[in-house]
Amino acid sequence: MANNIVINASHLTLSYGDTEIIKDAAFSVKQGEFVFITGPSGSGKSTLLKSLYGQIKPTAGKLVVGGLDMRTINSNKLQELRTHLGIVFQDYKLINEWTVAKNVVLPLIIAGYSMDVQETQAKRLLKHVKLSDKYGAYPLELSGGEQQRVGVARAMSKNPFLMLADEPTGNLDEYSSNVIWDLMENACGQLKTTVLVVTHRIPSVFSIPYRHFIIENKGVYEVH
Amino acid sequence: MKFIKDHLTFIFPMMAILLGIEFFLVFDRTTSSYEEGLREGYSMFIVADKELNLAEFQKLNPHISKSTPVTKDELAQEISQGISKSSSEKILQALPYFYNIKFDTYLHTSVLDSIKTSLETDERIKKVETFGNSYSASYTLFSFIKFALKAFVIFMSLVSLFLVVKQMEVWNYAHRERMQVMEIFGAPLMLRSGVLFKVATIDAVISTILTTTIFVMLKHKWAEESHLEILKQMQDLLFRPFDFFILLMTSLMIVIVSVYIVVFSTRESSQ
Ligand SMILES: Nc1ncnc2c1ncn2[C@@H]1O[C@H](COP(=O)(O)OP(=O)(O)OP(=O)(O)O)[C@@H](O)[C@H]1O
Ligand SMILES: [Mg+2]
Repeated sequence: MANNIVINASHLTLSYGDTEIIKDAAFSVKQGEFVFITGPSGSGKSTLLKSLYGQIKPTAGKLVVGGLDMRTINSNKLQELRTHLGIVFQDYKLINEWTVAKNVVLPLIIAGYSMDVQETQAKRLLKHVKLSDKYGAYPLELSGGEQQRVGVARAMSKNPFLMLADEPTGNLDEYSSNVIWDLMENACGQLKTTVLVVTHRIPSVFSIPYRHFIIENKGVYEVH
Repeated sequence: MKFIKDHLTFIFPMMAILLGIEFFLVFDRTTSSYEEGLREGYSMFIVADKELNLAEFQKLNPHISKSTPVTKDELAQEISQGISKSSSEKILQALPYFYNIKFDTYLHTSVLDSIKTSLETDERIKKVETFGNSYSASYTLFSFIKFALKAFVIFMSLVSLFLVVKQMEVWNYAHRERMQVMEIFGAPLMLRSGVLFKVATIDAVISTILTTTIFVMLKHKWAEESHLEILKQMQDLLFRPFDFFILLMTSLMIVIVSVYIVVFSTRESSQ
């Protein structure tokens, strides 16, 4: 497999119990590419993302992420892989008992970075997402848009090689959405992070080249 | 308020387990001295034609730990009062040998009966006397109490363990979201369940200290001030410093086991 291929799927089938959600899909994504994933509600967009960070295992076919076979991956390897991913959820999934700053550096805490590094990184990242004044605040004191910006900052805090975002701007105000798209463009354009974003609306202004996958009738198709 | 309640619902069942264990330790110690007393107080009285030493008795039954000959001199003296010396010597020679034998452990009456029978079948032994009645009664009562206490402690521990796990589930539920988020970001199990371990360990130590305090109070205050002779005699057995370590280790074991039960039962399944 070529070194710069980050995701490679062939004959990929994903199911819940006996219900197949994705069937016999094939696609691959190279390092530094930006991919939008769209499709009708219930088509399996979130399911596909879950398979990419190992929340569900493929029931048939092959799925390789960062060189690791997601069907046979053991829990230690999966744990290791996850520390190199940046995941953004539609419902933010922030830790409400932690300050915004601590939330942002969760990946650094897991990796065992010192308090000093955590602090400087938290400041830098919060500045990026325009939330410097919320350093010591708690997630529930923030608006939805602000919480999601914290979520994106957290996903980017350890420079992941792959960023997976499930409707990050789902029901956010325009300002927050723009901040988030800007960040993702930068991550991809400058840091060469591979980005996969599920969204129901591709932003009209987008400054870097991107690919567009549609999930429909259990298949994953590319729009050219 | 909720904080206190949260912790008491963990500390109380934990203490119940520890109290049960400590009670058992104390019971075991005090009754082993009681058992010793029963054993010491119990003996068989043997009348034999020939002289028998301990090894010979042990050949007949290995439980026999001691044989004391009853000296005939005193007997003879009493008998010989007012009788001529030669006839008293005759009497003395005609007298059989008397022995008191003791056993190495506390034996069930049925075992004692079989020992008695086996002794009686030996041709050198003419008669074996036992004091079976009081012995049997106290033995039965004793083993019944021991059994009842054991059963009670085990039952209490099981119920309490159940409560401890329940409380952990409550905590786990409170921390579930955080643990799941951390898991998605690749945090190892120790980091994810760290909070649970921390809270539970602190409570386990508190439970151990409280339990220890109760027994130390019993030992140094209650036992001293009470006018119960038996308590004063056994004061030393009530609590030993080493018990603290037994209790601490037990409570920490319970914490580790129940945290793992809870953490493993709620892994990604709920996603
Ligand atoms: N945990 C689950 N167990 C069983 N079925 C599930 C589970 N999660 C999702 N599904 C089903 O799988 C299908 C795809 O769900 P998925 O969440 O991937 O859709 P989606 O494309 O993300 O939809 P939306 O745009 O509404 O978020 C749906 O029919 C859904 O009911
Ligand atoms: Mg979805």
